[in-house]
Amino acid sequence: MPLTREQVVEGLVKILGVEKVITDEQVLKESSIDRFRKYEDICGVYTQPIPAAVVNVESTEEVSVVLKFANENIINVVPRTGHSATEGGLETAVENSIVVDGSGMNRLIKIDTYNMQATAECGVSLEELENKLRKQGYTTGHSPQSKPLAQMGGLVATRSIGQLSTLYGGIEDMVVGIEAVFPNGQISRIKNVPRRAAGPDIRHIIIGNEGALCYITEVTVKIFKYMPENNLFYGYTLENMKTGFEILREVMVEGYKPSVARLYDPEDGAYHFSHFADDKCVLIFVAEGPKAIAEATGRAIEEIVGKYDECKRVDSQLIKRWFDNLNWDPAKVAEERVEIAETQNIGFTTEVSGNWDIINDIYEVCIERIRNEIPDITLIGGHSSHSYINGTNMYFVYYYNLVDITPEEEITKYHYPIQDIIVEETLKAGGSMCHHHGVGKHRTHFIKEEYGSSYHILETLKKAFDPRGIMNMGTILPIKR
Amino acid sequence: MLSNEDWVVDSNLSIDVSFVKNILNCFDESALEMTLKLSDYVKGLNIPINLTALTIGDKKLDTYLKTLYALRFDKALRINNNEDIRFLPQIVAHVISQYVKEINKQDVIILGRQSGEGDNGKTPLLVAEILKWPCITQVINIEADKEDTLKVTNMVDGGILTQIIRTPCVLSVGNAPNSYMRVPTLRDKMKYGKREIDVLEIDEFNIKALLDTCRNECELKSLEKISHERQGVIIEGKTPAEKARILYDSYLKERLEKL
Repeated sequence: MPLTREQVVEGLVKILGVEKVITDEQVLKESSIDRFRKYEDICGVYTQPIPAAVVNVESTEEVSVVLKFANENIINVVPRTGHSATEGGLETAVENSIVVDGSGMNRLIKIDTYNMQATAECGVSLEELENKLRKQGYTTGHSPQSKPLAQMGGLVATRSIGQLSTLYGGIEDMVVGIEAVFPNGQISRIKNVPRRAAGPDIRHIIIGNEGALCYITEVTVKIFKYMPENNLFYGYTLENMKTGFEILREVMVEGYKPSVARLYDPEDGAYHFSHFADDKCVLIFVAEGPKAIAEATGRAIEEIVGKYDECKRVDSQLIKRWFDNLNWDPAKVAEERVEIAETQNIGFTTEVSGNWDIINDIYEVCIERIRNEIPDITLIGGHSSHSYINGTNMYFVYYYNLVDITPEEEITKYHYPIQDIIVEETLKAGGSMCHHHGVGKHRTHFIKEEYGSSYHILETLKKAFDPRGIMNMGTILPIKR
Repeated sequence: MLSNEDWVVDSNLSIDVSFVKNILNCFDESALEMTLKLSDYVKGLNIPINLTALTIGDKKLDTYLKTLYALRFDKALRINNNEDIRFLPQIVAHVISQYVKEINKQDVIILGRQSGEGDNGKTPLLVAEILKWPCITQVINIEADKEDTLKVTNMVDGGILTQIIRTPCVLSVGNAPNSYMRVPTLRDKMKYGKREIDVLEIDEFNIKALLDTCRNECELKSLEKISHERQGVIIEGKTPAEKARILYDSYLKERLEKL
């Protein structure tokens, strides 16, 4: 017999005390969603089951007892830290869920500049960690657009990636050790060592689990010397995305590691670069690190791009200024809400990846289909922002006018059809449907196709670590109804 | 947003803004959206309405005019200018009023109250004066009324005033509650936004003599950035009650007593 809503709250109050158990109606409503449903939020229409409570945990032990309570009573738990997710991962898809908010676990435990690693609780904001490190001459090397909002637990849980990934890697390349709590209350710590070959790398069960297997309570990440004085900025305009992909590939294949390597199409580029690149693609590189390496990387970029006549160099200051204003802070989120409400025009993104031989085809076919098939589209464009030796990502950006809909129809009339075109075409070509936002709850219908014959590994992990199905149900794996 | 380090005045007393993306200033954006809403309403009544957008400046501005074409403006016109008229609203007003008098007659002229660059706040009033039309300032809403009248809401000292105004008139849009303009669809951009922008040269408006007069009357000597910094104080106290007491005694009590 499942517990009633009142019994869930009563149980949580017994464990944590009344002050840490939030049942305010508006807080609960806002905690039933993330930025995937930002239009519903702006309209004050909440369509997801409202959670029974939001609990503010302050220690790993508290997380452990809450999870144990939920596991014993089969109550869905949604782990949360910075609340900046974009793919529905924080939606409470099951009645009477508990949102376990770790943003109060915000102790920066240690900055170890000898072993070059920093340990933080899950609720430490990345920006705060980064600012503290920079004051001492170090950096995490992690710089996602959500840096002012996101916190360490959520960043690791979603396999986040930052704008400097081509040099520093994604969060999976940065995490050294980790502490997580499993549904049965088990606290597991993976120690901080340079490398190990003692069986599979079990960090990867936790990194990217999106709260569907366990709750991340502490992370240790690598740190790097911070040398912004050596940064070199390069910007070029060009005619074709295909040329841009070729250049990105050449830079990677020749073995260079610019921290930023980005290619914008004209539509997406117009949003950022209309003051210097009207109707053009834009290619951007930043070389950083020790002076000699930054300069060598910069010279190589100039040489490689110099072979392509269609590329015209622009003033480096244009790129530096753009880069300084790229991130999303709370003020920008608030401004966006007003803009959406006034214009009834809203934008989202879907990010995929593919090898070099398919990425341009994915880009072209998705743009073409969305332009032709989706009504009321005002912008469809995209950029590549994370490149690898074997391929790159494509970050589709789309805006549409909301015409003749109720708030809850925004997703079904526009967002789902656009996202499905991008995912379908990417999977058909052999790419991955999620590059760095995570699966969340709205791409789960493609998850078997994404994994193919390796799906049983994922399914087995879920069964093994969350046998009673209490961890963020509907995330990564669809709810079986 | 131009960063502090880029706010550099060069030898021509200009500030290089080429490093940042241009946007419509908020007053102009409000004015355009009000115009479009008025047009929607009037068209709904099957009354013909003809919208003309006019700007003065260089080719970079064409992108905004193309957007207005996509939003179904009937005419988009740029008066090409390379002179520094940032602080000469008389020139801007002269050009607009001459265009309306001699080239393309209008019933209503709707303008943002001030531009971001000159911040003069005079152009709408000067246009009205030259044309000898009434001018309503701080407009926050415009609605259709009868064929030759509009219902105009504007902010006045101590309140909000709604009045019926006979056209022709000049409306200067101020701090309207809505400051964003609608966004055209890709289809409309393709269908309507590709039209060529009409371009006239500012020299065709006989500004030479007026330019000389204005420059004799008013010379730009220097530019200085106005600082808008705010100061914050963190109240220290052992308990919330103690902090609240300090807040009241030190910062609120005197102000509240004056109310």
